[in-house]
Amino acid sequence: MPEIDRRGFLKLAGASAGAAAAAGCSDHVEKLIPYVVQPEEVTPGVPVWYASTCRECPAGCGVLVKTRESRPIKLEGNPEHPINRGRLCAKGQASVERTYSPDRFHGPVRRNAAGELEPTTWDEAIAEVAAAIRANPARVRVLGGDPGDTASQLIDRFVAATGAGGRVVSIPFAREALRAATEQVFGVASEPIFDLSGADLVIDFGSELFESGLSPIEHQRQWAEARDVATHPDGGLRLVYVGSRLSLTASSSDEWLVAKPGSEGLLALALARAAIEAGAGGGAHAGLLSGPLANAGADAAARATDVPAEAIRRIGAALARARAAVALPPGHAVASRRAVGASAAVLLLNEVIGAVGSRVIVAAPEGAPRQRASYKDLLALIREMQDGQVDVLLVHHMNPVYSIPVSAGFADALAKVKLVVSFASAADETALRAHVVLPDHTALESWGDARPRPGVRSLVQPTLRPLYDTRAFGDALLDVGRAVSPEAAAQLPAGSFRTLLEANWTGTDFRAALKSGGVYQPASHAASGFAASKVEVAEPVFTGDGELTLLAVPHIFLWDGSGAALPVLQEIPDPVARVAWDSWAEVSLATADRLGVEMGDVLRLESSAGAIEVAVLPRGGIRDDVIAVPTGQGHVVGHFASKAGQGLVGVARGGNVFDLLPGDGVDESGGRAFLTERPRVSATGRHRRLPLLQWNDNKRERQLGEAMTLAALAGHGEAHAEHHGPHEMREPYDPAADAADLQYQETFHERGENSAKASPYRWGMSVDLDRCTGCSACIAACYVENNLPRVGEDETRLVRQMAWLRIDRWVGEGEPELKGGRVRAPRSREQLGDTDIRNAPLLCQHCGAAPCEPVCPVIATYHNEEGLNAMIYNRCIGTRYCANNCPYKVRRFNYWDHQLTKWPAPMELMLNPDVTVRGQGVMEKCTFCVQRIQAARQDAKNAGMLIPDGAVKTACQQACPSAVYTFGNLRDPDSQVSKASAAPQRGYHALHMLNTRPAVTYLAKVLRGKVEGSPS
Amino acid sequence: MTPPPALSAVPTPEAAPAPGDSKINRDLLRVMEGASPGYFLLLGATVLVVTAAALTWIYQIYIGLGVAGYTHPVFWGVYIVTFVFWVGIAHAGTLISAILYLFRAKWRNAINRSAEAMTVMAVMTAGMFLGIHVGRIWKAYFILPYPNQRGLWVNFRSPLEWDTFAISTYATISIVFLYIGLIPDLAIARDRFAGWRRLLYTALALGWQGTSRQWKAHTRSVLHLSGLATPLVLSVHSVVSWDFAMSIVPGWHATIFAPYFVAGAIFSGFAMVLTVMIPVRRIFGLEEYITDYHFENMARFILLTSLIVGYAYVTEYFVAWYSGVEAEQTSFWLRAFGPYWFSTWTMIVCNVVFPQLFWFKRLRTHVPTLFVVSTFVNIGMWFERYVIIITGLSREYDPAVWGVYTPTWAELTILAGSFAFFAMLFLLFLKIFPVIAIAEVKELAIHDRAHGAHGAH
Repeated sequence: MPEIDRRGFLKLAGASAGAAAAAGCSDHVEKLIPYVVQPEEVTPGVPVWYASTCRECPAGCGVLVKTRESRPIKLEGNPEHPINRGRLCAKGQASVERTYSPDRFHGPVRRNAAGELEPTTWDEAIAEVAAAIRANPARVRVLGGDPGDTASQLIDRFVAATGAGGRVVSIPFAREALRAATEQVFGVASEPIFDLSGADLVIDFGSELFESGLSPIEHQRQWAEARDVATHPDGGLRLVYVGSRLSLTASSSDEWLVAKPGSEGLLALALARAAIEAGAGGGAHAGLLSGPLANAGADAAARATDVPAEAIRRIGAALARARAAVALPPGHAVASRRAVGASAAVLLLNEVIGAVGSRVIVAAPEGAPRQRASYKDLLALIREMQDGQVDVLLVHHMNPVYSIPVSAGFADALAKVKLVVSFASAADETALRAHVVLPDHTALESWGDARPRPGVRSLVQPTLRPLYDTRAFGDALLDVGRAVSPEAAAQLPAGSFRTLLEANWTGTDFRAALKSGGVYQPASHAASGFAASKVEVAEPVFTGDGELTLLAVPHIFLWDGSGAALPVLQEIPDPVARVAWDSWAEVSLATADRLGVEMGDVLRLESSAGAIEVAVLPRGGIRDDVIAVPTGQGHVVGHFASKAGQGLVGVARGGNVFDLLPGDGVDESGGRAFLTERPRVSATGRHRRLPLLQWNDNKRERQLGEAMTLAALAGHGEAHAEHHGPHEMREPYDPAADAADLQYQETFHERGENSAKASPYRWGMSVDLDRCTGCSACIAACYVENNLPRVGEDETRLVRQMAWLRIDRWVGEGEPELKGGRVRAPRSREQLGDTDIRNAPLLCQHCGAAPCEPVCPVIATYHNEEGLNAMIYNRCIGTRYCANNCPYKVRRFNYWDHQLTKWPAPMELMLNPDVTVRGQGVMEKCTFCVQRIQAARQDAKNAGMLIPDGAVKTACQQACPSAVYTFGNLRDPDSQVSKASAAPQRGYHALHMLNTRPAVTYLAKVLRGKVEGSPS
Repeated sequence: MTPPPALSAVPTPEAAPAPGDSKINRDLLRVMEGASPGYFLLLGATVLVVTAAALTWIYQIYIGLGVAGYTHPVFWGVYIVTFVFWVGIAHAGTLISAILYLFRAKWRNAINRSAEAMTVMAVMTAGMFLGIHVGRIWKAYFILPYPNQRGLWVNFRSPLEWDTFAISTYATISIVFLYIGLIPDLAIARDRFAGWRRLLYTALALGWQGTSRQWKAHTRSVLHLSGLATPLVLSVHSVVSWDFAMSIVPGWHATIFAPYFVAGAIFSGFAMVLTVMIPVRRIFGLEEYITDYHFENMARFILLTSLIVGYAYVTEYFVAWYSGVEAEQTSFWLRAFGPYWFSTWTMIVCNVVFPQLFWFKRLRTHVPTLFVVSTFVNIGMWFERYVIIITGLSREYDPAVWGVYTPTWAELTILAGSFAFFAMLFLLFLKIFPVIAIAEVKELAIHDRAHGAHGAH
């Protein structure tokens, strides 16, 4: 031990007294308790990453789970995974909240004599379930969604071992029609893999490519890459959208064919005919013209679909001419009772345009034969339950009371089942009606696997010790099965579910697979036949006598309702409607006028099956004969899913559109149909203020979301002036002009010691609007990374959201019209067929001459020498002047102590320890993820070098499926961001006229115009 | 300006009773004596409202500023509106005391004490709103520049920092000014009262004997303080206006703001003096001392400043149009015809239209008209600040985040509390200090007698 001299002792004494005094000053004193025995793989402050698989939707993206001190705090895409290649959507980003949900069961519960759920022990609960199964195994049914590959096999073995009466798989948004159509046309019962990479013409028949599509992240990435103007001077991929509503996908399309809902199949056949007539396939498909395409003439189709014959011929010709065209099948919202025919027609079109085998890969299904998610089987099960033929119902990975239409009678039939067992990890409508709940771990706590597509096997691995006394679904099932009878136990696999999983992965390098998240191989095309004769397309059948066709649109975040429990997904506004925490009904402006309603007036929708009441959202971008209601809301259980959810059971938030659908809506294959109703719509006379985050889509020609035509980009001057509006576009960021920033900083810190050192860094970002679809994955990533408060419905209604990053949605260039009156919401400027929608992500611009900085009286916000507009929360006294003076309005004020007082336990466990939790009364805003810069700086320092380009990825940049964001050092002329920001034509600074000298350079969207039929 | 009428009530020296018991003394000190049930009722009512507002404030500090109606993008609301309003009210006092003193406008003598007292009270009320407004009042002292071991310093480039200095300087000068003026009167009160009052006035009168040496020093200090205070009249509200003018918010960023705000402040200050003094004169029977002549002169000031304010309104709109800046034009258009049209037209009618009645001498000297118009001016001036702050912020550069702000119960309670607080202080002042400057009235009376009421100087 070194000797301590008198001086040193005094220094130490002074320092410790000072430290003690300083500790006494802080607002909240919290103690850090060190490990008694340090776990081997945990270094405090250093994250540990685990490869796993996202279980939020069937796409099956690979994720890397970031854990800090053994707590998962964020999910990021797994770069090795072939489906998402390192990117992750909003649903995936938010899924970390599932583990820390206040709705979770803390242990097994059973219903007591008084009919209330009370805690019990695992032994008692399993004994009770096993006894009930033993009594009459034939009257036992298993109902559930997709539990993963091995777990699904285990269920089959469980059913076989116990002699249970059967198993039904039910997934609300399954793709049964596509599978059936593929079997019909190509003879292989599998979902084809659609590959857009390198495509130059894509027609989406309502699959909703970027939101509820087949593989949204993968397709968004492929779409963006195939139309990058830097590598495709001709504009690259053109996207044609077919649908009745300006959806998120339609907003990013180049041409929107406003077809009647349900007429997608007819349109696909007409396009196939037009393509053949224009020479597609060089006569190979001439036979089809007299076969299935005999009646698919453009004029007849135009009448049936409402798409002009000219457009059909033009796009048919474009398809024939295209180098690599592909057509995507109809999605859930337009899945009518004739959905198989429509999907088959799209597959036929793909065959005609030569996409099958290259961009449409029909691979043989792999692994254990998976049960089909047949809605017909579910209806049969409900009948059995109603008839009292089911004594025990085991429900897993599904919330049928919510997601099955009320008119199917599931809830009533459930009452006739003697013992309902739920494996839900968090309380939902079904679990609260169960007799016994054997709570499952969440995905982050459990082992599992998935086979999202042929060739891809993906692992799920636990990343923290289960928070509560829960048991993995597989283990609970094994325990129940073994308790039923010794015979059953003998037939079930030995060991735990994990042993079974490893056994199932024999033949692969399990440890390597754990590291890389799975085993990935390219899928090979297996189909050889083509049976066009079986393609039968018919007009959809509707029930109800209303004038409007109901479109039950899968909500991009809430999905089949499973997302509603996650506050981040409730909090982020729908990218198109801009509504959060509520459901709404979209009608056209003309329809709203006809019904005599305005924004927020409550409509009553009444179908043969049921009725719901939702607030109306009139918009220009929807057909007059359609009313669209998003799925996912209307829960009555859940802290966040339902309203006033202080306890678990609350009041429904919004309406559940499934309740309008008939119980027997099935397509030809027995899959679930959603496009079946023409409800009666009437105004209730009541009004509800919608939690609307943006009600003005008129950008007033201000420099916020710029666009330019392809011709202008190619340098044709007149086109530039014509389409670019009267205002100038700012010259791109010029590193030479950066000296002015430096000078500015020096004036700022004129008092000597702080004078800006010539830092080698000036952090900057470029935001490519041409790649942005508005999918909001970046926003979700920002919420999770930066501990942003989720403010809830009431505060959202007051527009007090705390998002550091928002996406402004503009319809065209807008016009600076001046209109008076007390109009809260001006009329939507959308028009049918117009896809000039600009999604402009707005985050702190880290201005070189930031208006927020000089006005702060206490220097709580200042400019650091690396060009960051930094915020010192401890100094802030909350005058809010900075927010007033910020022209971009990206500063957010903490009106409450959100995390301390409004977050129910255990949500605080998911806070990112690298980011300060802001208290009541301080301002906050985007930091360019300064904690990530600091982490990279430490690494660079250890390596004795400058931070290399690409070492810092902001959370938004990391998440973005289409690489909108580029972040880096503007002082390095070779950095990606310097190159991207130097785009001479597309670059501009938001609100350039204010001369704020932002560090964020936007790249204007490129308007590619409608698809050209003949070469120009 | 018409010369002031002679004070008929001034007794001749022959008939004058012993010093300390003149009619002026008796009349003016009578205000401080006793208190009717009506007084206590009024005082009780104000205390009640102040208590409600105080509790609301405590609740707001405890639970968070979210109880106010703030929304993205309107980060400043009724609290700042009311702050600016009370700073404006605080202007008449110094104007009357300092500037009119320097110009030897004798008619000020009857009203200067009440105006100075109002200044101090208004500044106190306004100062509180800075605390009510900020998000973390427990750290609000960070705004004061003082050497500290935390290495914190303030940003002297921030208009809010200038504000801190302007308001605290103004408060200091106003208090000193009021106190210096009070000393001779406190001595009179000391000689007249007994009990705790005597002790209080003895202490406060600082041993005032009325010697010529003391009078000389007193007159000198008042003169010098007037000289010091005069630039403050112009600077305080100029600085407050820069809170807005220095920003880039459309509708705020205007060079006309400093003179515009100063004129508005004097306008509202005189209106408040009228609104308060008309009932006081009536209740305490001070018609002999505060005459219609005084009121008329204040009405002239109101008319003049109303014209300046009206001109500023026109200029603002003209510049918005002439600048060609679309954001400015839109902001001003929506100011008049957007969701806040009501506040805008209230402001214009109250501040520009009603004061035009004062072109007519009959209305200028008609006390009920004076009272009604001055009350409307007070309302109009509150709305002026509401219009500037709220409409400016609600329609800024990014139309995606345009918003509508509505005040909540908490803000309205605290707003009501501010008026009650002001009234409470004034009621207490009436009973504790002479509300009319006795010594100055006497001086005037003696002066008038010596030189004749219309005497030439």
